[in-house]
Amino acid sequence: MIFNVTHTTKYEYNAPVSYCHNIATLRPRELPGQQLLDYSIKISPQPAELSERVDFFGNYITRFSIQTEHKLLKVRTDSKILRDYSKYHESFHSPACKDVTLNGAREVMKGMDPDVLEAKQYILESIFIKRTGENIRNYAELSFNENRSVFDASYELMQRIYTDFQFVPGFTSISTPIWEVMEEKKGVCQDFAQIAIACVRSVGLPARYVSGYIETLPPEGEDKLVGADASHAWFSVFIAGFGWVDFDPTNNQIPSDQHLVVGWGRDYYDVPPLKGVVYGSGKSKLKVAVDIVPAV
Amino acid sequence: MPTTSTSWLNSYCTNYDNDELYLPQRGLKPYWKKLFNGFEKLGASGLMARQKDIDWLLSENGVTYNVYNDPKGMHRPWNLNLIPFLLHEKEWQTVEAGLKQRAELLNLVMKDVYGDRNLIKNGIIPHEVIYGHRGFLRQCAGITYNTDKHLSMYAADLSRGTDGRLWVVNDRTEAPSGMGYALENRSTASRILPEMYSRMNVKRISGFFYELNQLLVDASPGKKENPNIVILTPGSHNETYFEHAYLASFLGYPLVQGNDLVVRDGFLWMKSLQGLKQVDVVLRRVDDVYADPLELREDSQLGVAGLLDVVRRKNVSVINPVSSGVLENPGLMPFMQAIAKYFLNEQLILPQIASWWCGQEREKNYVLQNLSQLVVKRIDRTNRESIHFGEFMSTLQLENLRNEIQLRPYRFVAQERINFSTAPNLVKDTIEPRNLVTRAFCIASGENYSVMPGGLVRVAPDRKTIRVSNQRGGTSKDLWILEDSPIKDDYSRVWQKRSNASMSGLNDLPSLTAENLYWAGRYVGRTLVNARFIRMVMQQMALMQNREEAPDAVKLQVLFKAVTHLTDTYPGFVDKTKKGRRAMENPYEEMLSVILDKERTGSLAHTIEMFSNAYYSIRNLWSSDMWRVFENIQKLWYSFAEGQDRSINRILKVLNQLITRLIAFMGLIEESIMVQQGLLLYFIGLQLEQSMLTITKCRSLLTIKYDEQVEYDLLEYLLKSHESLNIYRYSYRSYIRLEHVLDLVMLDLEYPRSLTFMLNRLEKDIARLPRSKSNNHVSAYQKYVFDAFSKLRLAESSTLSGTTTDTDVVREELDSLLAKLSDLLYKTSQSITSTYFNHTDKQKQLVIQSFPI
Repeated sequence: MIFNVTHTTKYEYNAPVSYCHNIATLRPRELPGQQLLDYSIKISPQPAELSERVDFFGNYITRFSIQTEHKLLKVRTDSKILRDYSKYHESFHSPACKDVTLNGAREVMKGMDPDVLEAKQYILESIFIKRTGENIRNYAELSFNENRSVFDASYELMQRIYTDFQFVPGFTSISTPIWEVMEEKKGVCQDFAQIAIACVRSVGLPARYVSGYIETLPPEGEDKLVGADASHAWFSVFIAGFGWVDFDPTNNQIPSDQHLVVGWGRDYYDVPPLKGVVYGSGKSKLKVAVDIVPAV
Repeated sequence: MPTTSTSWLNSYCTNYDNDELYLPQRGLKPYWKKLFNGFEKLGASGLMARQKDIDWLLSENGVTYNVYNDPKGMHRPWNLNLIPFLLHEKEWQTVEAGLKQRAELLNLVMKDVYGDRNLIKNGIIPHEVIYGHRGFLRQCAGITYNTDKHLSMYAADLSRGTDGRLWVVNDRTEAPSGMGYALENRSTASRILPEMYSRMNVKRISGFFYELNQLLVDASPGKKENPNIVILTPGSHNETYFEHAYLASFLGYPLVQGNDLVVRDGFLWMKSLQGLKQVDVVLRRVDDVYADPLELREDSQLGVAGLLDVVRRKNVSVINPVSSGVLENPGLMPFMQAIAKYFLNEQLILPQIASWWCGQEREKNYVLQNLSQLVVKRIDRTNRESIHFGEFMSTLQLENLRNEIQLRPYRFVAQERINFSTAPNLVKDTIEPRNLVTRAFCIASGENYSVMPGGLVRVAPDRKTIRVSNQRGGTSKDLWILEDSPIKDDYSRVWQKRSNASMSGLNDLPSLTAENLYWAGRYVGRTLVNARFIRMVMQQMALMQNREEAPDAVKLQVLFKAVTHLTDTYPGFVDKTKKGRRAMENPYEEMLSVILDKERTGSLAHTIEMFSNAYYSIRNLWSSDMWRVFENIQKLWYSFAEGQDRSINRILKVLNQLITRLIAFMGLIEESIMVQQGLLLYFIGLQLEQSMLTITKCRSLLTIKYDEQVEYDLLEYLLKSHESLNIYRYSYRSYIRLEHVLDLVMLDLEYPRSLTFMLNRLEKDIARLPRSKSNNHVSAYQKYVFDAFSKLRLAESSTLSGTTTDTDVVREELDSLLAKLSDLLYKTSQSITSTYFNHTDKQKQLVIQSFPI
């Protein structure tokens, strides 16, 4: 399927900002099953300079500075994405994937294959997912055990998070620590993704954080609301010997063609859509709108 | 227990078998013998006298080391022990070669881990040692630099092991400190022990600083001949701030804080008085993660947003590059031998402390079994708080540590606990052995590295302590590398002329420094004027019958209210407090608070504190005389504030001394700092403050009409507090009259304490500011001062002193003139601030977060 994605971020300030430096992780990356056909970024006011580079994890990073005084910052990206991911679903159920047990995966992870080496960094603690305690490990071990298939265990973990956790927007912020989410069992997609990652890492396997979009389908007979789509996040597990498999605990499914990947990292910290340093004295109000329209 | 043959050393005995004085076969090392023969002539009292000289010199020069949360306060004096630490050139050659090799290896490790990571791919180092280290900054991967060496500066802590060799105990790569202290120690030691210094053939270290300067110059993008170089400090609260300021003034580069720098158009700029000035090289003393709030720690106020991007574009060089912290990594130690083989096919020249990285099964088990004999560190936290000494830990603590290691073994390294060598240290009148650690310094020099032939030796505070660290209050030593033949003097003086001229002058003054100078002027003016006024008030209080009751006399009421107006300590004597209390009911209590309560904004104590802060943060501009007088002021005030005596006599005495010392200090400032260095800003601040306070004084004492006798007394008070009574008597030889007082204090064009004179001077001074110079229009602050000056010139004392009708109580003319002047000067200050010290734009995060990286 081909999608046109429009992602608009607005910051309104109650006092003028004299200048700002920003970093955006908004340009979708390419991967098997996803191609970027077209992309543009529009920023107002006009940035004094803008540059793009590929970061440590292979994501596209756009850096820009605005040097004119402003009270409104608007960043809009238009991406045209060809997504054809469902064709991989079958392979997840093949023996090559399903038969990898936790023990087997741990053994492979001791090796030095380039894939394995690359994946190893996703076992270690990261900025947001650190010092996780026994409750995480205990929660993980309800699904993971030594002789069980890693895929099955991950799938079950996804299901359990979907069932056990309540989707409550506004309950958490990006600074809510993992243990608090675990205790309260409430949060949004990025919290669920990070809980899952913490669990997978606690049993010694690599897991990464995937940031992107999801197309929401309106209830039957109703029109789709503009801006109803959203930024989304899920997690991915490295099944040693097979490869990375994504899981979406918020929607209890393996991502398919409605999931569009922007980037990935160890956790949210590595792939924030927009961050920056602003020089001014006022407060800001944020508005984000995402529209995903299948191209005809 | 060996003893020595020379009589002076008879008392020196050491229980340790590893002392610097002795050869393994128990013989006294000849060069130590030579040193002690020299000490023999001085005798115990001679040595103690020299030590006293050192202590005095260091305190005179304001050499300090800040200790966070130290009950003794900030700015603890630096200690240097008279007895140097000696090493012979022959032994040093090995150390030098070993340090160069190690610096090069770490340089190659840095290039590799931020580049292709072959060390990991080829299994030379386990990935966790790098990826699991919080100093591994993924943001910096793939950056290429202007310098051939990525690691430009390197420091190693060395100690002598029981095998008689010097071992590497720690690697310092992020922003190694100590070079400045080593330089200061050398300059002090060579002054206090001149005869020994020359007889012992001590290698000079000034050549090393020449190379350091060259390193910075050569690092500039595009190899500019006169690059703009700055030294970036976290600020005056940093523990080694003295050193930052010392190096800045030694090398002749501006000392700046993050706030002074800004990124625009892909370049780094310094905010100077004139405007933005491009910066080519930054010698930074700010830690990696604080260097750039855009890409690293978001809540950092110490760095510059966007700095990494400028580095990436190769438009600036930061020394050491941000990201070098990953090399401060004891997890690398067990692999250094393999790294040396991999990169250079060499053996390590210098032995290193035995280390076990817990990320390996076998090593981990060894560590867990022998925990109580080991020293455990995190691979990425080598500060003392994070070091666990097994031998001092309880069973429970050991158990907790064991669990912590097992949970995330890759984070931990255990090291052997060894008895490092001791060396003689002068303690009162005896010489005692103390453990020591030597920090040696290494910098890139062309394609090689250079090692400072000297270093910073830190000594344990007492006999039992093995841990050595400045924070624990030990002392330091100078390190003398000895040659057999006399030293030829080097080119120490020659090169300083060369250091760049392009950064000097008022235009290039960093705006934060300018602001500090301006406020220094304002606070010193405020302290002086207020101290004089309060002194005069206390003199009147001394005559009062009962100081703890409301005064009957109108003149005293007016005087007390003036104190509140002048110090801006409302409600004070003017109004009742929120709880309904009136200070006037107990003037003595309120005066004590206005003098001593440093929590109260406007109090004398508070003003003195603000004055000290402003001065301390520009200490790289000071002369040592200034430091001495400044210290004197601090000591005077401290002993008063801490003491019990609150009698009027005591207060008057302290105020007298304070005023005298302030005046001495102000005189020194004028002769020690050049106008181009920013003295102009100080003068502007001083004149502005004194003018404003003169206006306030006149307003609170003169604008209301009282009885003739009351008025007479008030006029006398005013002249007294203004130090103008004698001048008045000399000039007018008459009964004190308001008209004459106004003429003298406000309108006289020649008298330096008159308002007109001060504004005239202010007008001339501000005209010299960089942005006053455009030809056809004057800047806002110039207009305000000009306006104020002309209003004064047009005023007549006869009109000002009258009232509209005889029954009026308020002198409308005078009051409205003073009100206008006050308003104009306030606007002047605002305008100067916004034109030159624009720090009002607060740095904020788009998305608020603060996570330790």
